[in-house]
Amino acid sequence: MAEDSEWVLESIAGYLGSPEWVIPVTDFMENKCTVFDDEDENKLTYTEIHQQYKELVEQLLENYMQEVGINEQQFLEACSSPFAKSKALQTVFQPVLATDDFQMFRSLMVQKNVELQLQALRVIKERNGALPDCLTDGADMMSELEQQEMRILQEVLRRSKEEYDQELARRMLLSEEMMGSTSSSSSDQVPLDRMEKRHSPSAQQTDDRSKVQQAEAPSDRGRSSAVARTQSQGPAVSGGASTMSGTPGKEVKKEANACRTSETPGKSQTKSSPSSTSKVPPDLPTVRTPVKGKELPQPPGDKAKENSGNQAAKAWLEEARKEAGISRPFAELSAAQQEQLQQRAQYLRQQRDKLQALKKEQQRPKTAATEELQEAATSAATSLPEAIPRRDISRNTVQDERGSVLPAASSPQKKELSTEERKKMEKRKHLAEKLKEEVIKK
Amino acid sequence: MGEVQKGLFSVIQKLKGTTEQELRIVLLGLDNAGKTTLLKKLASEDVNTITPTQGFNIKSVASHGMKLNVWDIGGQRKIRPFWKKYLENTDLLIYVIDSADKKRFEETGLELSELTDEENLKGVPLLIFANKQDLATASPASEIAEGLNLHTYRDRQWQIQACSALSGEGVQDGMNWISNNIVNKKK
Repeated sequence: MAEDSEWVLESIAGYLGSPEWVIPVTDFMENKCTVFDDEDENKLTYTEIHQQYKELVEQLLENYMQEVGINEQQFLEACSSPFAKSKALQTVFQPVLATDDFQMFRSLMVQKNVELQLQALRVIKERNGALPDCLTDGADMMSELEQQEMRILQEVLRRSKEEYDQELARRMLLSEEMMGSTSSSSSDQVPLDRMEKRHSPSAQQTDDRSKVQQAEAPSDRGRSSAVARTQSQGPAVSGGASTMSGTPGKEVKKEANACRTSETPGKSQTKSSPSSTSKVPPDLPTVRTPVKGKELPQPPGDKAKENSGNQAAKAWLEEARKEAGISRPFAELSAAQQEQLQQRAQYLRQQRDKLQALKKEQQRPKTAATEELQEAATSAATSLPEAIPRRDISRNTVQDERGSVLPAASSPQKKELSTEERKKMEKRKHLAEKLKEEVIKK
Repeated sequence: MGEVQKGLFSVIQKLKGTTEQELRIVLLGLDNAGKTTLLKKLASEDVNTITPTQGFNIKSVASHGMKLNVWDIGGQRKIRPFWKKYLENTDLLIYVIDSADKKRFEETGLELSELTDEENLKGVPLLIFANKQDLATASPASEIAEGLNLHTYRDRQWQIQACSALSGEGVQDGMNWISNNIVNKKK
């Protein structure tokens, strides 16, 4: 009996190593293994494939037993002999056992899938001499992909934040525009590198969003040099003034129109010399001087406007700040926010400069109109400082105010002309009157 | 033919030469009942990162000197038709109910009664976990038992056990019932 079972076992083992068994089983595995991955969760198709596998194995074993002429009992005895438990035979029997053991079947299939993939890699290597980069290292590839994804994600976050900031900046700007004050003017004499220094440390400020912003930083650097000029006017950047790049040009033109004529009646005597500008201590709300700054005396009628404008401005500014979600004073704003404000200011300045150039050409015929604008803007601009309760902000606003003064100051020729003209006119009138009197007397 | 297959099955089963006894347990219930959470809790795995099961999970858990092969099959409506493919040779059915999901008590009752009508589950012991008892809105196990008409089940052993798969409370009580009523009998 023992001999018998030994013979049967040998025969079975031989069969499980023969092409009759190996080929169909391997075929089946190779055809079906592609869906088997190393995920924890099993797919429902695994069960279906396992069922098919069972049927295949049973069919094969049945045929074999019939062929060899052994019955199940013999088969069982042979397989349960101690010899069958040896390691060498265990591996041979594994495909048979897998019919009853899903976990074993699964691991066989996963293994087969990996083998096939490696085989495919070998084939590719043989054909092309080398593997394409994307296949050299799975792990690296994955991490690279992940990194790329992260980059994309960051970019998306950055853009959406930019858009949001632009939107809120636009709102702030609009409200400010109504007040007639916009970003401050530029001074070319300001040392740029100083501003750069200010700029970079602040950019590294830690913030919730700092990651995203840092990614953004390099691209902003280019623009920042120009932005820096704005900052040079004071410790904080053009306060309530908002920064944003890419506003529709028309809008900006309007703003610029308003701002270039704005001026403050009280504080904004722009009399310092241009050279002094660069030396302005950052903390002082010194007014930067236009090349030929000179102010028009404020029209007396503006007082009333000013008062009403005051309250409105207060409301506007508050609203703008709420909309912006910026409840902190400017100085506490995150680096990115500051930066954006600066960018915006710079952009506006550029637009204004362009407009100024344009305006200069059209200046003479429009003097009267400009004066009107100036008056209107003046009242609004004046109201700004009082509009903000907090000290930090008010300082910023003062800057703003200064800034807003500047445009007006930077178009001084116009004003001077107009005043001179007035004086001339008055003189002429005076002369004319004298002449009249003389003539009449005569 | 069928005879031969059955014979072959037993042959192969014996071939495995398992020394320890194994139980095949199928874990079923509606989607979001907490089957996978329960499974992972049984296997002492992290239960915080569980997503809806699209296929099935298998864990082998050693309990009371037995090897429990627990099959957790997804409970989403579109998967439920596949349940019956997993019922063969099942030693125990664990049915999980979200005790706080009162709106679907009827649905879960229907699914359970369909299961108990399955040929492959004839006489198979049934353990019901009234899960999510950690939620304030959870119904007590007794109420659920009444709603499911469990007292009419005469052809099998059954037990309803209140538990929270998330915290693990009550889970061990259920496992103890298994070992006392099924494992010992199988031995």
